[in-house]
Formats: sequence, C-alpha cells, structure tokens
Amino acid sequence: MKKILRAVKPALLVLTILFVGLLSSACTKKDEVSKNLYIFNWTYYTPDSVIEKFEKEYGIDVVYDYFASNEEMFAKLKAGGANYDLCFPSGDYVSIMIKEGMLAKIDKSTIKNFGNIDQGVLAKSDFDPGNEYSVPYYMGAAGVAVNRTKVASYEKSWSIFAREDLSGKMIMLDDMREVFGDALKFLGYSVNSTSEAEINAARDLIDKEWKPNLLKFDAEAFAKNFAAGEVWVAQGYAESIYAEMDPSRWGEVDFFIPNEGGPSYIDSMVILKDSKNIKAAMNFIDFIHRPEIYAEFCDAFGFPATANVPARELKKGPQYYSAESLEPCELKKDVGADLEKYNAAWQQIKIGK
Amino acid sequence: MKRNFGPTYVAPQALWLTVFFAAPLLIIVAYSFLQKGLYGGVEVVFSTQAWVDIANPTLLKVTVKTLWVSLAATLIIILLALPCGYSIARSKNQALRLFLVIVPFWTNFLVRIYAWISILGNEGFVNQALRFLGFRAEGFQFLYNQGAVIFVLVYMYLPYAILPLFSTIDKFDFTLLEAARDLGSTKMQSYIKIMLPNIKGGVITAVLFTFIPIFGAYAVPLLIGGKDSYMLGNVIADQLTKTRNWPLASAISMSMTLLTAIAVFLFAFKKPKEQQIVKDIDPLSLPNGKTTGFLHRAPGQGKKKPSAKGAA
Repeated sequence: MKKILRAVKPALLVLTILFVGLLSSACTKKDEVSKNLYIFNWTYYTPDSVIEKFEKEYGIDVVYDYFASNEEMFAKLKAGGANYDLCFPSGDYVSIMIKEGMLAKIDKSTIKNFGNIDQGVLAKSDFDPGNEYSVPYYMGAAGVAVNRTKVASYEKSWSIFAREDLSGKMIMLDDMREVFGDALKFLGYSVNSTSEAEINAARDLIDKEWKPNLLKFDAEAFAKNFAAGEVWVAQGYAESIYAEMDPSRWGEVDFFIPNEGGPSYIDSMVILKDSKNIKAAMNFIDFIHRPEIYAEFCDAFGFPATANVPARELKKGPQYYSAESLEPCELKKDVGADLEKYNAAWQQIKIGK
Repeated sequence: MKRNFGPTYVAPQALWLTVFFAAPLLIIVAYSFLQKGLYGGVEVVFSTQAWVDIANPTLLKVTVKTLWVSLAATLIIILLALPCGYSIARSKNQALRLFLVIVPFWTNFLVRIYAWISILGNEGFVNQALRFLGFRAEGFQFLYNQGAVIFVLVYMYLPYAILPLFSTIDKFDFTLLEAARDLGSTKMQSYIKIMLPNIKGGVITAVLFTFIPIFGAYAVPLLIGGKDSYMLGNVIADQLTKTRNWPLASAISMSMTLLTAIAVFLFAFKKPKEQQIVKDIDPLSLPNGKTTGFLHRAPGQGKKKPSAKGAA
C-alpha cells in the first residue's frame, strides 16, 4: 500500500498544488472588495490621458483590457472567469447581454451628465429602450480608408471593391455583419435583412465582384497592412487606421463613409452583473460624459462628438469623418436565430475555391 | 524478494491522461450531441443536428484543402529534414548543431509569424533588398497566399521532424552504407534501399509530429494566408467565437481527432516485412537463408547498371 502511495504521490501533489492554486486565486478575487476598476474595452477606444485623469480624481486604479470584436468579448465573458466591472459592447450585443441576464441596471439619476447625451442617439438606442442597462458611449461606423498617394481617383462608394485595377491591394474586415451590411446597403436593402434572397444576393456580390480583388479578410491586422503599404484600400475603423500611422503621414489617407451608407453602431457603457465596484463604474460613466472629457476623447481619435452635445463646442482637433456622413447608415441589430443565414453565406465566401 | 506492483506504477500517468485528455475529450463528444445555445454554449437537449450540419459540401471542400496543404507541407518538411538529420548525425559537433535547431523555440510562435510578415511583406526586408538591386518598385507579393502558408508552416514545424530523424539516423550503422557500395550499389541506391528502410521509425515519428499539428493549424493560415487560405482550424475557431455553434465546432474537432487517429493506426502500426530485414542480419550469418531481401539483389542490380556513377 505504501508503495502505491509512493507511486501516486508526486502526481497527486502536482494536482493538489494546481487545484489549490486555482481555487485560492478564484477565492481571493471573489471575497475582496475591489479597489480597482476593471474595464473591458475595444483596442484604441479610450485615451490614456482620460483614464489617468479619472484615476487621479477618484483615487482608483483602472485595469484596462482589450478586445477586437464583440464576438470575442462576448465569448470571453460568457466563458466566465473574467471579473470586469465596465464593458463597451455594441448595440446588438447590449440586447443579447440583457437577454442573457449579464448586466446590472443603471440608476440614471446618479449620472449628472446624462443630459449631455444627444437625443437622437438616445432615440436610436432602441436595443435598450429607456437606457435601463446601458449609456451610449459613441456612435460611429466603419468606412473606407484610401491611400491617396497610390489611388488617384475613386468614387466614394462600396463599388470601389469591384475595381479590378486595384486587385490584391484591397482588404475588408473579417467581420460577417460588417461586410454583409455594406453589400446589403449597396444593393438597397437593410443591413439587418433576414430575407434569404437578399442575403444570398449580397453573398453573390461579395463573392463574385468584391472578393476576387481582395488580398484577404482581416479584422486584426488591416490597419497595420494599410500603414505598411501592403494595401491601398481598406474597409475598417478610422481610429485603428490613424493610430497605426505616424501623424506626419495622415495627409496620405482619405477616410470616408460611402454614400450608400453602411452598418453603424452605438457602443455603450454597461455594468456587468457581477461587478465588485459598481460605484466606480458609475463614476466613470458620468466622467466620460463631462463635455471637456468627451471632447478630449474625440480629439484623441479624430471622432465627431456624436453622443455628447456640449462637447461639440469644445472639440479642437480635426475629425476624420463628419457626423452627417453617418446619416445614410443604419444601426446594426441582433438578428437572433436568423444569424444562421449569414453564417451559411459567410462560410461559402470564406471557404471559396 | 521485491514485490512488483505492476500496473500501479502507471497510476500517475493514468490519472494525468484521465484528467487532461480523456475527460476533456468526452466533454467534446457530449457537446457535439447537444443543442446549440442561441448565444453560444449549449442547451442540455439531445440533438444530432451538429452531425447533420457537418455533412455539407463547403465543409468537405475545406477538409480536402486542409488535407492538401498539410500533406504538401509535411512532404517538404520530410525532404528537408532527412538531409538535415543526416548531416547532424554525421557531424563532429552534434551538440552545437542540435542546439541551433532548437534555438528558434526560444522565441514565441506568434512573434516568429510576425517576423516572417516583416521579412516577406511588400515593404519587408526581401522586397527592399530586391528593390535596391533594381527589381520592380512595386515589390513582389510573397504573403497572403497558399504558397506563403505552406512556406511558413514548413519553417515552423521543421525542427519537429529534424529531431526524431536525427535520433534514428544517429543510431544507424553507417558501415552498412559502405557494404552496399562494395556490393555495387550507387550512392543514391545505398541511401534509398539501405538507410531509408532502417530509419523508417524515425520517418514515421517525424511525419506524425508534423502532419498532426499542421492539420489543425490556426494562426499561420489566419495571419499569413489570403482570402482562400481558410483551414479547418479556422472553421472551428469561427464556429466557437463568431457564429456561436459550439456543437458543430465539437463535431468537427471530433471528426478531425478520429480521422487523425485512424491515419496514425494505419500508418504507424502496419509493419511491412522487408523493413525488419537489415536489423535481423548478423553480418556473420549472411548465407543462412534467412535473408532474402534486397542485399541479395544488390549485386544483380550492380551488374545491370555498371554505370560510371556506380564505379566512381
């Protein structure tokens, strides 16, 4: 018997150490009253200067983690183990997270600056009627960045991706809803279409007209590729494109939202149900909507101050696209079980030859 | 007399395999037979939907493509690793050369992929060098196509083939090569007919060590590949994170595991008769009739083809 024990002991020891380690780390996180504010946000979305000001004023340490897509954020939160207080999902995911019971209700009366928020944006945020769980952070849209030194003339339309003379020099996001939204809008349909015929028409447009000219679909490195001159035309987010380039080269870039419009998004601030520091999270939401802070955020990324009215007066820097160019865009919504239709069509495009 | 506890000695390993291999595998099997949750995860309702979904032509297409890429990369790796392993085994400073093979592992996998991007990119080192030498200013498109994926896969997994090949070649008795030459075989024949069958075990290990991870490759096709480089590993990741169909992801993973397991059994445990022969030969008992293999045929072949090459 002793010998059996001796044989098993090392393995048991290792396992015990592993499990005890895991358990204890999990426990300390749960029991502790958090002095930190854990934020889970998009890459390039809240400037460091704003976070530093908040830390100084409230005496709180902000721990800031990044995600690159709503899907990634959702999968990580859903898998558990992540203890974030504040998160910045897009509208379609706000509604999903409400349905899944992942969010804490927000007491708007404690947000002094709520009145600064644009009424139009609030009206559009019907993914959370009455803003019970979410406060809008920013309304924007993916657009097209063109390298002016390489492409002399072009139309501000999604049809740029059908130009064979730019074949192999263009890139689109590896993001099903974004790419389909562009194609659906180009064909005159809704970006939230659930009609199989419309989705298939969009699929054929992407697969036969656009994809042959694309280098690849990429949501992670598109801005790096654009900055490095690998591609001359990129569908993507302005903030990523400009952040990857030296300001001395910003003149080379023309960023526009095509005339047909595309899917737009309202990213909102939500507090997660298991948050350990709701008070700090509320303070952060309030802090962001101070006009001078919102203006600082917009200036850092060249954004129009879409969600905050008084900040528009205070903005100093240039902006990459105007709030008006978002007019023809349509807000992306969760399509529920109809997402399967998009999946099937997207798989066919991705797998290709 | 010491007591032998027999099977209990494997307890630690059995425990390890159960907790970290068998149990997760069973969870994957179970998930593949559950209903998909609308927003990820699974509903605990029995369903064979995933196994129905898996039988669609687009998935078959991507499986064939993945197989093709994996086979091509593995073949190139083996062809490169054989001479590498051989030269290391015959070298005087084996330790140094082995060390050099292992050095790349000190750098993270992803960092090495990004390194290739900065080497082969349109504004990368190679294109800059070519431009300097007067080639076209546009640069060459090395990246984001199937060839680039195979190239980087070969680079990534080459050491996994060199190491097992080296260790078997190192044990090979090189005097057998001389014997074959004495009996009239050419240099090439002696390698192919004498050495290759003897290091077959190493070749099999090398193929398994490279083919299996390449078959499940995810990061390389994602970062180096172009619009048509989607592989099975990417399909599984997308089903898990983007389209939120966990049962389908589980079903695809299980099919891949099964496919790989079957291939391994067929490949590794099928023992052709000839392979054992040289091992069995005791040079002193050559004529005892036991050896009817190629050693006896070798002189005949030498006669048929008394080429200058053979004599040289």
